[in-house]
Amino acid sequence: MTTRREFLAATGALVVALAVRPASAAPGAGSAQLTAFLEVAPDGRVRLWSPTTEMGQGTHTAHALLVAGELGVPLAAVTVETAHPADPFRRNGQMSSGGSWGVRAWEGPLRRAAAQARAVLLAEAGARHGLDPAALDIAEGEVRHGTRVLGGIGAYAAGAAARPLPADPVLRARHPLAGTAVARLDIPAKVRGEPVFCSDMTLPALVHAWARLGPMTGAEVEAVDDRAARAIPGVLDVVRLPTGAAVVATSNWAAIRGAEALRLRFRANPHDRLDSAAISKGMAAALGRAEAAAAPRADGDFAAARAAAARVIEADYEVPYLAHAPLEPWNCIVRFHADGSLEVWAPTQAQDRLMAAITAAAGLPAEKVRIHTTLLGGGFGRRLRDMEGMRDAVLVAKAVKRPVHFHWSREEELGQGWFRPAQMARMQAALAEDGRLLGLSIRTAGPSMVMDFAAPATPIPEGGLDASSVQSLADTRYRFGAYRLDYAMARFPVPTAPWRAVGSTQNGYFLECFLDEVAKAAGVDPWRFRRRLLAHDARALRVLDTAAQEAGWGTPLPPGHARGIAYVESYGSLCAEVVEASLEEGLPKVHRVTVALDCGRVISRDGTLAQVEGGVVQGLSAALGEAVEIAGGAVANRNFDGYRLLRMPDAPTRIDVHLIESGEAIGGVGEPPLPPAAPALVNALFALTGRPIRRLPILSA
Amino acid sequence: MAKLVVNGETRRVDAPGDMPLLWVLRDLLDLKGAKYGCGIGQCGACTVLVDGGAVRSCITPLEAVAGSEVTTIEGLGGDHPLQKAWIALQVPQCGYCQPGQIMQAAALLAETPQPTDAEIDTAMAGNLCRCGTYLRIRAAIRAAAGAAA
Repeated sequence: MTTRREFLAATGALVVALAVRPASAAPGAGSAQLTAFLEVAPDGRVRLWSPTTEMGQGTHTAHALLVAGELGVPLAAVTVETAHPADPFRRNGQMSSGGSWGVRAWEGPLRRAAAQARAVLLAEAGARHGLDPAALDIAEGEVRHGTRVLGGIGAYAAGAAARPLPADPVLRARHPLAGTAVARLDIPAKVRGEPVFCSDMTLPALVHAWARLGPMTGAEVEAVDDRAARAIPGVLDVVRLPTGAAVVATSNWAAIRGAEALRLRFRANPHDRLDSAAISKGMAAALGRAEAAAAPRADGDFAAARAAAARVIEADYEVPYLAHAPLEPWNCIVRFHADGSLEVWAPTQAQDRLMAAITAAAGLPAEKVRIHTTLLGGGFGRRLRDMEGMRDAVLVAKAVKRPVHFHWSREEELGQGWFRPAQMARMQAALAEDGRLLGLSIRTAGPSMVMDFAAPATPIPEGGLDASSVQSLADTRYRFGAYRLDYAMARFPVPTAPWRAVGSTQNGYFLECFLDEVAKAAGVDPWRFRRRLLAHDARALRVLDTAAQEAGWGTPLPPGHARGIAYVESYGSLCAEVVEASLEEGLPKVHRVTVALDCGRVISRDGTLAQVEGGVVQGLSAALGEAVEIAGGAVANRNFDGYRLLRMPDAPTRIDVHLIESGEAIGGVGEPPLPPAAPALVNALFALTGRPIRRLPILSA
Repeated sequence: MAKLVVNGETRRVDAPGDMPLLWVLRDLLDLKGAKYGCGIGQCGACTVLVDGGAVRSCITPLEAVAGSEVTTIEGLGGDHPLQKAWIALQVPQCGYCQPGQIMQAAALLAETPQPTDAEIDTAMAGNLCRCGTYLRIRAAIRAAAGAAA
């Protein structure tokens, strides 16, 4: 954050300090780069180049905690910035923050980097003082020999940087901070309203560009009438873009007014009449298709189970497209330098994808481009896919030959969204006479998020399997007897992308709500019904039982209240939730949510709790009110008056979180708490009314 | 030239009268605490105090607040009981909505120093938080109200 503040204080003189440089180079001011991740300044401050974006999930603080404890410095001595994309910061060839990998993927590399840094600092100190490095340690940022303080680590940093890093450094036997609750490093500045977001940044001679773009279907611009826009005082230029135009002005307000004054005409497009009803119809047709792609999971013979069943329960479920709706709309800053290099400030979750968009639009090699990842005003997966917005910003900066701050309005942020796919599921259960489950069949149908978002090198053929569409279903620990799972692809020209917890969000709802329907048909309590299906798995049972018991499952409730339970495993963590809800004047009211999360081990305790709380609220928000409406080939609800996020009066009164440290492999925490929330709420309402809710959101427009 | 008092200082700005207060603060007075979130008064990220009451600065034109006293998050000084509670309870996640949340809460406590839970929910209903920090916001408002009592 130091650079950011320096940057904000920027005058012309500071430009030198900000010149393009690879992240692995030394930062100046006498700091010594000890590893790709860590620099130590003469005053002992540590700068950590994090491989992840900080978007509120607290990963930067978790990374600082891991490094501070392993190295032996106070947490407050560590500042964290997101690195420029380079190999040390990539996972599977990409620098990207998604999949709840922030801590589980980087705990090892970051502890190793800190242990390497400690080793070379101690080697340097040992050489300088004529002592065996093995007899030295670092604590509170000081090199110590027993109780004797030799000096602060900053004094040894320059010498240490010249020493070879050990390939296999020894980690501390016990990490002193892992599992504790530490205060987030980024919170004080956010609470003071300091300019930490990309939208807050400024540069000398910066101009503002606001985009006006076409319908979601990506129709090409046919004509731009910009006369009214150009007449607005302060408007400097109007730049045509592949799917719209941007108005460039000396102030945000002039650019906003200019963008509103543009008159755009788009080429006719075969999808101009696409609407939500047609999409539902297309998915329903796929549900009934004779052929579908089988998931690599087939337990027994469902057809035989169905034939042998005393009763077959069937239901179709449906969910809509969902918008990520980060509160900070897409914006970024582009500055070309006289030497032909380029600097970009952007709130991105996907630095390598962003780099590809920048280099393609600018016609520059990656070596000439420096990406500064700012703190994000929300991500939730939306900032994994910002190539079009980035491209347009570069095009505007090239056209006006000045540093440009490029903005989307809220309407563009929602209208140009890449959404959680709409999806349907056909559920069938075969029950024996005595209520035992003989088998389960699930057919999911809808868009292929993998094809839309990732455009894989080997495309999924038409009718092939999209793993995201069977996420959390293909690898469920449940044993249903016979189990048939398949997917029928039905693609639409509505772009889809990962949305916090991705395929688990819809699949958790489909399965967990249907299980309650089946349990009711079998005459079995929903918790006990799930216990039977998980009887072979002690770890899952513990999670399910913890949520049920802590929620007081089966104990009396106030009149008009009911409980619902759901269990979903995703991103390496097992999560069960119990929602206590009622209906007040016909509207759902969530009173209490009890969560049990087994994420293996906890690294940053309060950060984990915050992620659980936020995941629950976002899951409830989607269940209650969220749906992207498509009409006339475009997103119809393009602001918060039409796209309904949960507001405080609808938030639960209590969320009680029980973290289970099973000691199994560390799992994610950003996403896993989300998927059980919607089905737990729906199941509570089902218990209350006896009527299943097979289509979300619960409150339709 | 419009005159207004921002965080206790008299400021003169040369801007069209229809320019929303949000952009006056952010672009002309370099106060970036209030955020653009929706532009139509639906999300509350732009909330500031005008003569003590919470307003959505994105839909409040400059001409409507000429001569008024405006307080932004920067004007709370950093040690305001709400800011202390926000840090103590580790409220923000992404943090983008939080200046607006804090200013809305400041208006609430100025009017109702000991709000009930229902009064908190009603007062805060116009402020969206996509990260879902509502429970911690409620708790922080209660804590700040208790601390001020």
